[in-house]
Amino acid sequence: MTTISTAFPAELARREYITRFDIHQRIQHFFLMLSFVLLVLTGMPLKFADGAISAWWIGVLGGVEPTRSIHHVAAWTMIGVCGYHAIYLLYGIFIKKKSVASMLPTRQDFVLFGQEIAWFVGLRKEKPRYDRYNWREKFDYYAMFWGIPVMALTGLVLMFPVLVTKFLPGWVVPVALIAHSDESMLALTWIVIVHIYFNHFAPGVFPLNPSIFTGKLSRERYMHDHPEEYDRIAETQTAPAPKEDKS
Amino acid sequence: MLASVLKPHRLIILLGMGFVAVGLAVFLLDSPPALALDEAGCLACHGITSLSTTDSQGNKVSLYVSEEKVNTAAHRYISCITCHPDMATVPHTKEVGFTKLSQARQCGTCHAYQYRLHSLSIHGQSLLEGSPDAATCLDCHATDGNPHGVIRVLEYTAPTYKKNIAGTCAACHAQEELMADYGIVERVYESYMRSFHGKATQLGAYKESELEKATCTNCHGVHDIQSVQDPTSPVAGAENLAKTCESCHPGAGVEFALGFLGHKEASRDNIPAAMYAEIFFTALLVSVVAFGALIMLVATRKYFANRWKETP
Repeated sequence: MTTISTAFPAELARREYITRFDIHQRIQHFFLMLSFVLLVLTGMPLKFADGAISAWWIGVLGGVEPTRSIHHVAAWTMIGVCGYHAIYLLYGIFIKKKSVASMLPTRQDFVLFGQEIAWFVGLRKEKPRYDRYNWREKFDYYAMFWGIPVMALTGLVLMFPVLVTKFLPGWVVPVALIAHSDESMLALTWIVIVHIYFNHFAPGVFPLNPSIFTGKLSRERYMHDHPEEYDRIAETQTAPAPKEDKS
Repeated sequence: MLASVLKPHRLIILLGMGFVAVGLAVFLLDSPPALALDEAGCLACHGITSLSTTDSQGNKVSLYVSEEKVNTAAHRYISCITCHPDMATVPHTKEVGFTKLSQARQCGTCHAYQYRLHSLSIHGQSLLEGSPDAATCLDCHATDGNPHGVIRVLEYTAPTYKKNIAGTCAACHAQEELMADYGIVERVYESYMRSFHGKATQLGAYKESELEKATCTNCHGVHDIQSVQDPTSPVAGAENLAKTCESCHPGAGVEFALGFLGHKEASRDNIPAAMYAEIFFTALLVSVVAFGALIMLVATRKYFANRWKETP
């Protein structure tokens, strides 16, 4: 077990759940997830048009044009979530003067990454002691700063090819198609083999880690998954929600 | 009397009986399946599967005409003599001996406009120059290559139905060796099926509203198909191509057309930016996925070692 400060606050001990995410973060994650799933379900049949299931699935959705419409609506939803997040972030930093330090990449992330790999392969006995966000959470977060602009920009080129070629050279259209197609595979594969794997199938987590939906994490899981932050909460004896916050 | 007959429950029974009677009448009086007219009674002999003759080279030639095919053919009400005028007398005094060219001319006696367009097309011109391969009427319009099986374009089994056109062209144009003889090195069918247009046609259903997608004939023409080297071809040069794109993409200009990879892969000579994008994104995809897979594998090993139980 992780070392918990000896002066364990009685108030905190009674509390079964600790608030981890605020309502905006939960809404953003929900719509990001929803739009991602819809984009995958309507995009992959086009990428794998030869697959026997693809034509059947397009039929279920009502044909090529309805599938395209769903893809476009989901795309705008995802772009909307990005706008929401940008406003949330700027408002948090400049108006509410919240610290975003917990999400910034640090040298410690690389150390913890090394420790985790060492633990996985058996070179280290103890699991690394994570703070508020582990390296995977930060990687997922920053990957979107590359992935979503690539997908959104190339997607818009493919959505309005005639308009775009009035201002840009023609080659941007085939380039956008290649980028959109490959980057979608990258995002999907990463989400499945890392994000879904560690947040649904890791020991003790199955069927899922619900904190991003409920906003709360049980005291045991918090101690286990984010010991550094948990200790800090326990020591300062503050209210459950840490003041420094962002997604 | 009338009032008692028209009591609600009786009325319902009467109505039910009425429906059954009408249904039965439709069933019994429905017309039998369409049959070929066969005014001259040709099928009396030619409907026999074993009917055959020997040509001048001594090869056995079947003279059998499938009644099943003729019954569903577009021309089922046209007398056999219309297309086989030399066969009006029995016993026949002449051999049939249609060549690709004479057969096309025969179709042209009625379908004069299409014949004229075809004879000016690359297919028709090659035929006149003696090509044994160039497509004529039957290569595209006959089901299973049976000349008596020409069906209407709008029947979904027709080789010329929108969804089937690419496959029909591919019967010749996907044959690499045959195409090499005519200087066509691009894998036209493969590259079309890889494109947005091809995938949309493939994924769409058979109903017409789902088939508003470009296939071979939308860009290259139908009976009047020209060689892409011919300056009059709708796909020859960026100017012509842009006009062709515009027929489906309103406002498309030359720059839009220049962004079309065509039937060639991206390469140093054909939109190099697309080739570099392919290399870059493939490398990125492979390296990031390999990284993720590695993390997952070592994690799985550890989790198994711990029997999937949480450890400190």
